Amino acid sequence: MSGGYMGRILRVDLTARTLNVESTPEEAVKRYLGGKGYAVYTFYQYLKDYESKGILPADIDPLGPENVLIFATGPGTGVPGFPCSGRYHAMALRSPLTGSIGSANSGGEWGPFLKFSGFDAIVIEGASEDPVYLSIVNGEADLRSACDLWGKNVFDTCRILTRKVGGKNKSVACIGPAGENLARMACIVNDEHRAAGRTGLGAVMGSKKLKAVVVSGEEKVPVAEPDKFREISRECLEKMRKNAVTGEGLPTYGTAILINVINTAGGLPYKNWQTGVNPDAEKISGETLAETYLTARRACWGCIIGCGRITSVKTGPFQILGTEGPEYESIWALGGSTAVKDLDAIIKANHYCDEFGLDPISMGSTIAAAMELNERGYIPKEDLQGLDLKFGNSAALVEAVWRTAYRTGFGKYLALGSKKLCEIYGHPELSMSVKGLEMPAYDPRAIKGIGLTYATANRGGCHVTGYTVSSEILGIPEKIDPLVPEGKAKWAKLFQDFTCVVNSTVNCLFSTFALGVKDYADLLSAITGWSLTEDDLLRIGERIYNLERVIINKYGFDGNDDTLPGRLIGEPMPEGPAKGHVVELEKMKEEYYKLRGWINGKPSSEKLKELEIEL
Amino acid sequence: MLMPSVKIKLFATLRKKYGVREVYVECDGTIKDLIENASKILGEEFFNDIYDKERNKVRDDRIFTVNGRNIKDFKGNIEIKDDDVIAIFPPLAGG
Repeated sequence: MSGGYMGRILRVDLTARTLNVESTPEEAVKRYLGGKGYAVYTFYQYLKDYESKGILPADIDPLGPENVLIFATGPGTGVPGFPCSGRYHAMALRSPLTGSIGSANSGGEWGPFLKFSGFDAIVIEGASEDPVYLSIVNGEADLRSACDLWGKNVFDTCRILTRKVGGKNKSVACIGPAGENLARMACIVNDEHRAAGRTGLGAVMGSKKLKAVVVSGEEKVPVAEPDKFREISRECLEKMRKNAVTGEGLPTYGTAILINVINTAGGLPYKNWQTGVNPDAEKISGETLAETYLTARRACWGCIIGCGRITSVKTGPFQILGTEGPEYESIWALGGSTAVKDLDAIIKANHYCDEFGLDPISMGSTIAAAMELNERGYIPKEDLQGLDLKFGNSAALVEAVWRTAYRTGFGKYLALGSKKLCEIYGHPELSMSVKGLEMPAYDPRAIKGIGLTYATANRGGCHVTGYTVSSEILGIPEKIDPLVPEGKAKWAKLFQDFTCVVNSTVNCLFSTFALGVKDYADLLSAITGWSLTEDDLLRIGERIYNLERVIINKYGFDGNDDTLPGRLIGEPMPEGPAKGHVVELEKMKEEYYKLRGWINGKPSSEKLKELEIEL
Repeated sequence: MLMPSVKIKLFATLRKKYGVREVYVECDGTIKDLIENASKILGEEFFNDIYDKERNKVRDDRIFTVNGRNIKDFKGNIEIKDDDVIAIFPPLAGG
């Protein structure tokens, strides 16, 4: 097996209660790397198998035993000296929130520790009748009863299982009550505060009665050319230390520093995207977080940035003596979109998201949608059961989060996500989502390229599929005008393809603020022993993105679903530097499809042939 | 002639370093004069922190906006007008 891989994959059938160890498929990882790429490759094999048995992909129940959940690392994960390689990628054949593919990425320590336990990936199929957890210690895997853990929150589950398992390098990925109760935006949380947040993967675990996966081990990741790798690693680490973003900006302020700059550009969605200017941005900014709440920093395994924030709310009704976060996205979704300007309440709501296992982006956005529905008089009073869902109501925000996790009161509606919620109350246009996934914290009327990324992202409204904001606002790697639609297709495609590489390596996207495709090619070549060029890597990324697209096409998604909420296409931005702007989506999409070689959102047979994707 | 008066807002490490969120400054309508006048209030170092003397332009690693628009996205000369709001950020990122 090539360097970078442990060479073993664990396949678990929860229905049959069997665990099988398989070899990591060398030919497949040469074409798809690992992480996301490996999961997409494996999903396609599952779909072919299902189709041969007469099960149509579109009929797969995301909460049924036929759904498949994968935790995967890549060749960079857990390699000391590979900058920021403390991550894993989790995917589900189908997301219970969207019906598209489920996909999320997380930091902390769990990814590297899975490799140290002896495995590159875990493939989980079937469903258990009783709660179980999966234990993997030094290459030995075992399913154990989780009856005594069912009902416990994330923090307790992590602490109990960490104590139970022996050895070094212990880490727990688990669900909280939200996942157990099948809240559609439930996430998988590892190391207490790091989460594979998006697309409801926690509900998939809940449906399989899989409470947790605990890993521990002391194996080392093999490196094909250690001397060469050390040299390249040293250069890359030096680049990151000297880079103003990875060396100073992110360590000092974390991600929340974006609040003011995005608001200044008029792209910070406010009150469920009614405008892109938040008059109270300063109160919830990264600067305020650092001045008032920050107590320490936290870094993921192998990270020299350390963007994690340890914070505390010292007094008041939302007091928390120690928590982690919130991140930029969490502050925006729980605060900006809901117009809550009380950072105490936002920190508490974010803490609850971690404690109960909820994705703060979808959670906050769903609450914001409910607030608009309520303020417009579309929700009967009796449905709310006393929950005063008005924009800016801090107490209602915090209550809505725990009610969602336990699906009590109005929480039973919120737990369905904004798309279903708005459909139930007859106003689907108020769900600020794409393919059912709530969009993150950038209004594309002010940042056009990110609108194209949202619309064409395979998992739905997502910024980390292709972060064009980096060029449009931050000027990395080069500055482009956010208000101009022309030329954005090229950037969206490039960011999407490179991000597939990063998520298949599996590494932190923040490394790319300092490192480029060439750095990744050099690092991965030295680790694996393959000779990878920049073109090779981008081709792998493009292959992954296209195969993922083929999969979602099988669920019925096509060009008509590559769209944005009507508000962004039809309602001009009312104020700020983007005043009067809408997203010229069709124009950008036409250029994008041409570059991608897609017809109505589907890869052409020529494109698939060119990328050597065998269907 | 009445000089344009504008608000300069500082963020992140710049705010921390100079200890102010915003200052009001007059200028002759050019960015260079604006920054020179701001450095009379904030200290000489401020000029070098924002302006690249050798290239006679705002430093490439600064996000410098006029009424929310990054000056790198402007076509042609930029004229600072009365009541404009200037925001200056050091390199930063997130996601």
